Amino acid sequence: MSAAPVLKAEGLRVGYGGKPVLLDATIELRPDEVLCVIGHNGAGKSTLMRALFGLITPEAGRMLVDGAQLDPHVPRVLASHGIAMVPEGRGIFPGLTVRENFALGMWSAGVPEKERDERVEWVLQVLPPVRKFYDRRAGLLSGGQQQMVSIGRAILARPRCLLMDEPSIGLAPKLFQDLMQPIRELQQSHHMSILLIEQNVREALKVSDRVVVMKAGAIILEALPGELKDNARLMELY
Amino acid sequence: MLFLQLVINGLQLGAIYALTAVGFSLIFGATKVFHVAHGAAFTIAAYLFWWIFTVLHIAWPVAVLAAVVASVVFGLAMERFIYRPIQRHEGAFFTVFIAAFGVQIIIQNLTGSVFGRGFASVTTSLSHSVEVLPGLFVAPIAWISLLIALVVFTALSLYLSRTHTGMAMRALSENPDLIRVFGLDPGRVAQCAFGIGSAMVVPGAILTSMTAGLNPAIGAHVMLISLAATIVGGIGSLRGAACGGFLLGLAENLALWRLDPQWSEAVTFVVLFLFIIFRPSGFFGRPQAAK
Repeated sequence: MSAAPVLKAEGLRVGYGGKPVLLDATIELRPDEVLCVIGHNGAGKSTLMRALFGLITPEAGRMLVDGAQLDPHVPRVLASHGIAMVPEGRGIFPGLTVRENFALGMWSAGVPEKERDERVEWVLQVLPPVRKFYDRRAGLLSGGQQQMVSIGRAILARPRCLLMDEPSIGLAPKLFQDLMQPIRELQQSHHMSILLIEQNVREALKVSDRVVVMKAGAIILEALPGELKDNARLMELY
Repeated sequence: MLFLQLVINGLQLGAIYALTAVGFSLIFGATKVFHVAHGAAFTIAAYLFWWIFTVLHIAWPVAVLAAVVASVVFGLAMERFIYRPIQRHEGAFFTVFIAAFGVQIIIQNLTGSVFGRGFASVTTSLSHSVEVLPGLFVAPIAWISLLIALVVFTALSLYLSRTHTGMAMRALSENPDLIRVFGLDPGRVAQCAFGIGSAMVVPGAILTSMTAGLNPAIGAHVMLISLAATIVGGIGSLRGAACGGFLLGLAENLALWRLDPQWSEAVTFVVLFLFIIFRPSGFFGRPQAAK
C-alpha cells in the first residue's frame, strides 16, 4: 500500500469578494517528489498554495496532511508538522539582517535552541553564498540573494515538505538554476516533498517529477515532465 | 542663566513626551493601529500611582507595579476588545480613530468621577529644586527623568534587536502576512507591542504626577504633544519619536525665553507645522512618494 500524500486538497473552492478563483481543485503532493504547478497568470496557482498553507480559508473542500485533517489548518500548525513555505516575492523582512531573519525563522518554527547554530551552519553549507552577506540587512541584498535567504529560512526548520511560490520571479534563468540545483539535491538526499509553482516552465520541468497544469482556477491536466517538453503541447494547454 | 534653566526644564518635560511618544510609535509601527487612547493609559497609570502612594500611603514600588499592570491590561484590552473586532470587519482607519478617541473621553470622565476633577500631585523631596549654579535651580527629578528615559530607550533598543519577540515586532511592522508564513500569530505579536508600548507610559505618568501635577485631561494633553512629536520625528521611527519628544519639550520651555507663558504650547505646534511644510517625513521618516 502506498504512503498517504504529505499534503492533499479535495474539492477546494476559494473566492475573493464573491469572485471564484479556485474551482473544486483536487491535488496531492506525494512523499519524496517534486510536483510542479504551472499555468498562466491568474490561473489560481498562488491561491491554491496559499490555501494549502492555511493563509486563506477556503469556501469549500478539505485539506489533509498525512491523510488527516488539521485543526486548525493554519501555518503555525502546518509548520509543526514539518511543512514550510517560500512565498511569492521576497519572503524576507528587509529591515532585519539575514542573521535576524534566520533567528526569527527558527524561533517561529520551534527549532530547539541548542540545535540552532548547527542548523544555520547546515544551511550555509547548502547555500554557501549566504555566508558572505549573513550580517547584512536583507533589504540591501540583490533579488537572487534575497531569494536565497528566503529559501534558507524555510529549510532551517528541516521541513519534510516545502511549498515554493514562483521562486524564479525577477531572477535570471542561470541564477534560478543555481538556486534550484542545491534544493533538488537536498530534496533527493532528505526525501523531501516539494510543491513548486512556476511560470518559468522550461526550468521548472527540469527539476520536477510530476506536473499539474492549471487554467482559470481549475486543474486541467496532470502529466509527467517528459510529456510536456513538446512546445506545441504546452501552447495547446495555455 | 535663564536660558540654561529653560533647557534643563525642557529636557525634563521632553523626556516625558519622548517616553509617551516612543510607546505610541512602537504600537503604531508594529500594528498600524492609531492608538490615540494611549493617553488614557497615561491617565490611568498616573492616577493609580497617585492614589496608592499618596492617598493609601502604600510603598512606591507597589504603586509603580500597580501602574504598570493597569496600563498594560488597558493596552491589551484595547487591542483585544476594540481594535481587533474593528479590524476583523475591515474597519477603516477613521473607525479605529473614533473608537480610540471615545475610549479616551470615557477614561477622562471616569477619572474625574472617581478621583475628582481637581488638581492632584505627588509630593516628594525629589521635586524640590536646589541651586546647582548661581541662579540655576534643578530638582533631582530632572536628572532622574533623563536617566529613566536613557535606561528605558536603551532597554527597548536591546529588546527589539536581541530578543525574538522584539525581532517579531519589527517584522510585523514590515509585513504582517509574512509573519504568518513564518508560522507566527500576528495577533500575539501585536499584543506584545501593545503591552510593552502601554507600559512605557508609566515613567512619564509618574514623573508628571511629581512635577506638573495631574488633572483628568492630562493624558489627552500629553498624548496630543506626543502625537506631534511622533510626526516631527517621522512616523514609525522610534528614534524619531524620542528626538521629537525632546525637541517639543525644549521648544515649549524655550518659548518662555522670549514669549508669554500662554504661547509656550502654541510654539510646539508651530514646530509641528514647520516640519509638515519643510520636512513632512520628519527627522527619520522615509519620504513617501505621492500615489
